[in-house]
Amino acid sequence: MAITLSVNGASHTVDVDPDTPLLWVLRDHLGLTGTKFGCGTALCGACTVHVDGEAVRSCVMPVSSLGEGKVTTIEALGAERLHRLQQAWIDLQVPQCGYCQPGFLMAAAALLAQTPKPTEAEIEASITNLCRCGTYARIKSAILAVAG
Amino acid sequence: MSIAERSSLSRRKLLETGAAAGVILVAGRLGSDEVLGQGAAAGTAALNAWIAVNRDGTVTLQCAHSEMGQGIETTFAAILADELEADWTRVKVVFSPAAPPFRHPVYNWQFTGNAESIRSYHALLRKMGAAAREMLVAAAAARFKVEPAALTTREGVVRHAQSGRSIGYGTLAADAAKLPAPEPPRLKPASEWRLVGNGRSLPRIDIPAKVDGTAVYGIDVKVPGMVHAAVISAPTIGGTIASVDHALVRAMAGVLAVVPLGSAVAVVAEHWWQARVAIEKLSVSWSDGQAGRFDTGFINGLYRKALAGDAWAVAEHHGDAAAVLKRATRVLEAEYWSPWQSHAPMEPMNATVSVTADGATVWAPTQGPQMAQVVLAAVLKIDPEKVTVNRTYLGGGFGRRLLADYIAQSALCSKAVGRPVKLIWHREEDFKQDVYRPGFLTRIRASVGSDDLPLALHQRIVAPTIVGPVSPVPLKPGDVDQLAVEGARELPYAIANNHVDYHMLQVPVPTMVWRTTGFGPNTFVLETVLDELAGWSKQDPYRYRRRLLVRNAAALAVLDRAAALANWGKAPKGRFQGIAFADCFGTYLCQIVEISLVKGAVKLHKVVSVADPGRVFDRANAASNIEGGVMWGLTATLYSELTFEAGHVRERNFDDFAIAQMSDTPEMVTEFLEGREGLGGIGEIGPVCVGPALANALAAATGRRHRILPLARAGVRMA
Repeated sequence: MAITLSVNGASHTVDVDPDTPLLWVLRDHLGLTGTKFGCGTALCGACTVHVDGEAVRSCVMPVSSLGEGKVTTIEALGAERLHRLQQAWIDLQVPQCGYCQPGFLMAAAALLAQTPKPTEAEIEASITNLCRCGTYARIKSAILAVAG
Repeated sequence: MSIAERSSLSRRKLLETGAAAGVILVAGRLGSDEVLGQGAAAGTAALNAWIAVNRDGTVTLQCAHSEMGQGIETTFAAILADELEADWTRVKVVFSPAAPPFRHPVYNWQFTGNAESIRSYHALLRKMGAAAREMLVAAAAARFKVEPAALTTREGVVRHAQSGRSIGYGTLAADAAKLPAPEPPRLKPASEWRLVGNGRSLPRIDIPAKVDGTAVYGIDVKVPGMVHAAVISAPTIGGTIASVDHALVRAMAGVLAVVPLGSAVAVVAEHWWQARVAIEKLSVSWSDGQAGRFDTGFINGLYRKALAGDAWAVAEHHGDAAAVLKRATRVLEAEYWSPWQSHAPMEPMNATVSVTADGATVWAPTQGPQMAQVVLAAVLKIDPEKVTVNRTYLGGGFGRRLLADYIAQSALCSKAVGRPVKLIWHREEDFKQDVYRPGFLTRIRASVGSDDLPLALHQRIVAPTIVGPVSPVPLKPGDVDQLAVEGARELPYAIANNHVDYHMLQVPVPTMVWRTTGFGPNTFVLETVLDELAGWSKQDPYRYRRRLLVRNAAALAVLDRAAALANWGKAPKGRFQGIAFADCFGTYLCQIVEISLVKGAVKLHKVVSVADPGRVFDRANAASNIEGGVMWGLTATLYSELTFEAGHVRERNFDDFAIAQMSDTPEMVTEFLEGREGLGGIGEIGPVCVGPALANALAAATGRRHRILPLARAGVRMA
């Protein structure tokens, strides 16, 4: 079935089953592999994208439910240059294996857009993504550094 | 006969007996041209297998090991570049092929694991870098008609101070590549290192791509003509396909093939989600594995029977623990359990393989590129030299990606459809098809001497093999698995009598190494017992360990520094501290945990880690790795375990297999000392002392000693 969606400011029409999760449309049909597959059931957050600026776990969102929603992926988090969070991630050397980090960055960006100066407790309550390498401390530091 | 030769012959023998894990030595050594086949451009001169200098002065360095977050892509290159005196800003790193120049210098096998990348390759890398530098200098000396000793090198340029002439490596490279490699080259003393060591840290070269979404992991690989595979495996461990009815599935959108794989079935489709949906619709009847629909009780029964029995292999016999314990007036006797664990890296197992008449090409996030060659050679019945392995970034490894089973599955799918196939295990399959870290059941008996210090330890450890699937020499029942007894066998302490018995338990469940190997479970036993013995004479646990380490200055320095950083003994009222020490992976490690209790729940305040690996090559990276390891250790101590039900593991995703989250993160302070002789590892040490230190802190807070992990089982909750 032909489905049209807006991703990173551009319109795309793909031929997929309407139940296909947004994650797999992004990765396999649009070639945007920055958004990752971790659990398939919205537990880990590796698949986090923005839909109209809100963090969404794309592995459980059927692409047909997107409607007019505008999707932003990690590839477009920074506009002409890196988002402040991405720069902080580099400055503080946050990632280890890095696989979960796009999801964390998208979740953090959505949080800061809503809550520009979150407390540690607010960060912990909002960012429930999983990191098997255990980089949480640096993620929190980077968010706090950007929040200022 | 050297270890390398011995393990080579054993591998040949394995192949002759048809074992799937058999290894063939790749005949001969690949020339530099072949090694640089991927991406070698005109105007590139290979000075040796590791280093090529391009005409424009950029340098291409081969990275023999796999990047899974430990920063080895950066540090291996930095060691080479430092000796080479390359301009670090003009260095490009590529992941090497699976080829003889890149094999472990002692084991003669190419793999990334056991926290030994740097300590095993360091000397070789420095030699390669230094040799290349001297060849460049010799080429410059010939051009300038001066003695090499009159020349200096710095950041990719050779200079002749006296005449003011200089020449770049790029211009020299072609001439240099024709010269013989100096034997031996002069290595820089550590004091002359510019990129590594001496407190330095380099920004990791992979991090920018890992924050902008462009880093390519195995799961992200794109190959022209590629199709996708999803897999469903037998509902019981060891189960196999009895019959597959794929009529319904073959008609589904995008489905190209149904490929039986013995213990699993793959569906190959144009897109992965189509394959994923199709496997749910597949009608498969399975035969149960040999052990049928066993449960946790059955597996535990095997452990109990072994512990009660007398089939033991002696792993360590130092002094006469049995005699001392027999005449002791007081004996501590305790049983410990560390649970079954899953690797569960965030990137599930996947591989992309293209099988053609010429051989097989693999793109995979693998820790074991040579294993992949050998396994595919056996499965496809081709020469291992015909298997090309391209290594991507790994979304975590922790030991699981040493094996090539998922690579073989992808290869069989590719062979079936005649196209490149990217095979991905969804998370439930990653849990199902894991090769698990087995549970460790230990009984320990201990007594003290008249000085109140431990005098005799006797441990009986029951655990299935962990090194078996990656061991060059096949292990059999009755053998000692040396990795399973690490941390129990050799003690950093002056304890006169230490006896370790090991029983290699046979279980109907596949088992292998997992980050921390035997050090994890065994250090938990030893360090909590030590605290208990200290308690007999009401001694402070830190001072108790001081007495045991008094003859080892470097170890003592680590213990003392941790105690100082943690303000040992001076915690605010209501806070409790626990300490643990280990000599693990060649590194001294001390960790101190500080907690308080909030309405019976545990608030984790601070973890101090001090490590002495002999030399730290990249301080920030090492600290990051240890602190991530603290979280791994907290997960293993507090939360995660596997149980068995209906012939398989019960836990299938991160709801059941709980791991630490951001809210579990304590304040962490991490420091390094460099007093120890030799080089130790970093990658697996971070978790090792956290668990026992936490358990010791809990005992201080509550009076209760925990011997069964995870602590969540005993109702321990985090605040």
